[in-house]
Amino acid sequence: MIVCVAHNITSPLGMTSAENYSAVKAGLSKLRQYDGLWGLPEPFVASLIEREAFTDNRHTIVEQMAIHSVSKALENAGIDTTSEKVIFIISTTKGNVFLLDKREQGFPQERVRLGMMARQITEYFGNPNEPIVVSNACISGVCAQIEAMRYLEGGGYDAAVVVGVDVQSAFIVSGFQSLKALSPEQCKPFDANRRGLNLGDAAATVIYIRKDKVAENEWVACRGAIRNDANHISGPSRTGEGSYRALKATLGDIDPATIAFINAHGTATPYNDEMESVAIERAGLSSIPVNSLKGYYGHTMGAAGVLETVISMQAIDDNNILGTRGFDTLGVTHPLDITSCNRTTAKRAFIKLLSGFGGCNAALLMAKGGLQ
Amino acid sequence: MDELIYTLKKQIIEALNLEDMTPEDIDENAALFGEGLGLDSIDALELIVMMEKNYGIKLKDPAQGKEIFKSVAVMADFISKNRTK
Amino acid sequence: MITHSVIITSDKVVVDGQTLPHKEQGSAMLTELYRSHVGDYPKFFKMDTLCKVGFLASELLLNAEGDRNFEPREDRAVILFNRSSSLQADTHYQSTIQEADNFYPSPAAFVYTLPNIVTGEIAIRNKFMGETSFMVIEDYDEQTIMQNLANAFQDPVTESVISGWCDCMDEEHFEAKLFLNNKLSNR
Repeated sequence: MIVCVAHNITSPLGMTSAENYSAVKAGLSKLRQYDGLWGLPEPFVASLIEREAFTDNRHTIVEQMAIHSVSKALENAGIDTTSEKVIFIISTTKGNVFLLDKREQGFPQERVRLGMMARQITEYFGNPNEPIVVSNACISGVCAQIEAMRYLEGGGYDAAVVVGVDVQSAFIVSGFQSLKALSPEQCKPFDANRRGLNLGDAAATVIYIRKDKVAENEWVACRGAIRNDANHISGPSRTGEGSYRALKATLGDIDPATIAFINAHGTATPYNDEMESVAIERAGLSSIPVNSLKGYYGHTMGAAGVLETVISMQAIDDNNILGTRGFDTLGVTHPLDITSCNRTTAKRAFIKLLSGFGGCNAALLMAKGGLQ
Repeated sequence: MDELIYTLKKQIIEALNLEDMTPEDIDENAALFGEGLGLDSIDALELIVMMEKNYGIKLKDPAQGKEIFKSVAVMADFISKNRTK
Repeated sequence: MITHSVIITSDKVVVDGQTLPHKEQGSAMLTELYRSHVGDYPKFFKMDTLCKVGFLASELLLNAEGDRNFEPREDRAVILFNRSSSLQADTHYQSTIQEADNFYPSPAAFVYTLPNIVTGEIAIRNKFMGETSFMVIEDYDEQTIMQNLANAFQDPVTESVISGWCDCMDEEHFEAKLFLNNKLSNR
């Protein structure tokens, strides 16, 4: 079985997984309005990290956040990253894209390539293998974990370090503004008055190993699936095709009653949340509580799948189903049990669901102690 | 107005990469979206940018596009009344 | 097992080992290939260069397979690799925001600033509802691609995979090496 041995979240809400979880549990967020930042003519709401905290001028802010996150995760992991049996899988959508701006100085242009960025991270940890970058839009973080599971199942590697990272810039923010996808206020996932998404900075890490026997308190990545809507490159499917199929493949013959919650993508755009409600209902899962973490962090893109998996594992460790910050009144046509505040649970499994541009969707089933 | 309509058709073809079309292929009174040219939501957003760039018209609410982009003739009428450049 | 293969570079097109004749090179060659081998998919002209190259390579690959019916299917995956991610689209989008006094961010350009859009375009064209995935590695490495392909069949639904390399440096320089792989004969 594929077991998580360590994790970290590096975000505006904290530099460790524990700091992040306690902030989220307390309902905190660093989402705020920025006006005139990076010369952008229109204001935007985002969750941004203090750039000044990262002072290593040999690495970009993106690389530094990833390195910090992996370093923290490695502290108690017992993993030797210099071994050729350890593979790094990096999840990012835009990496160092800010280097394309002609005003940016100080780093060679080649660092804009995701593979070069990834090498900075593996070289830092002395890893001899070529890193693989999963760049599957917003679902990258779950895809990278599925990729890690497959590499470990396939043999050849003893451990996989999965790190998701994306840092906001004028490039990304102006792009989402041009798509009219950003909310002018803090986002409201699944709410009747939702007006779009917020963007956020984050890096998050999970380290997986393969094990034959699993202890009761160990987290197992059981199964994951990636499916396409085959509908439109930027608009979600009205029938929730890909998310529905990813959920169905991931759930398999598992009794839905064992699932504590579905941690949805829940970006708070009108179309995404509606699509997820269709997909969850089609998969026969509408009785399972659903939450979204975008109201705490915004959409952290390549980091989202890893970050949201780590927060969800900690919630189960705490017998908790987290509330959906920003949600008040149900605003999707297919009734879902969206959690507005924290609830207790004794269940030990959850599903992480994501969807993204390119029509891609991914789901991942995580269970503490493995599937019964 | 005819000149504006012709220019607009050329600009739409360029902005939306309608490579196989000529201005003559576009009926200025036919619906731009839906059946017509097979345009989608991204095309609508791109037309908003095109109007801002070429005519200095900034739409406050993208939903306004629905009315304005009914046809090239409607669009030309709106532009002639609201243009700042 | 590989059942069909297609190579497209800026000046060469090879289908199942046979060179495909063409007059043009670079971006003009892509338009020529579209007109002579596809023709009925005007969305092609909206695509960035990475998508055009991947789309055309997949069209030639699937034409070589034959019996195209465009019925929805979940058992075929599209898993591609490259080096430059979406660099050409990124550079194009950056040019729409570079100057403060000519700042008109283009939504149509922005939607292509993700490398996996090409896998989505192939899925949309063919109604492939199976896995789509895009990965970036700094150097072309056949072993990584083949290892990944073998891993992809761990998904029990996946019976065949369009896999390979699809890289685009700029509008005139690109390289695609796509393979159609079948699970049954793989074992």
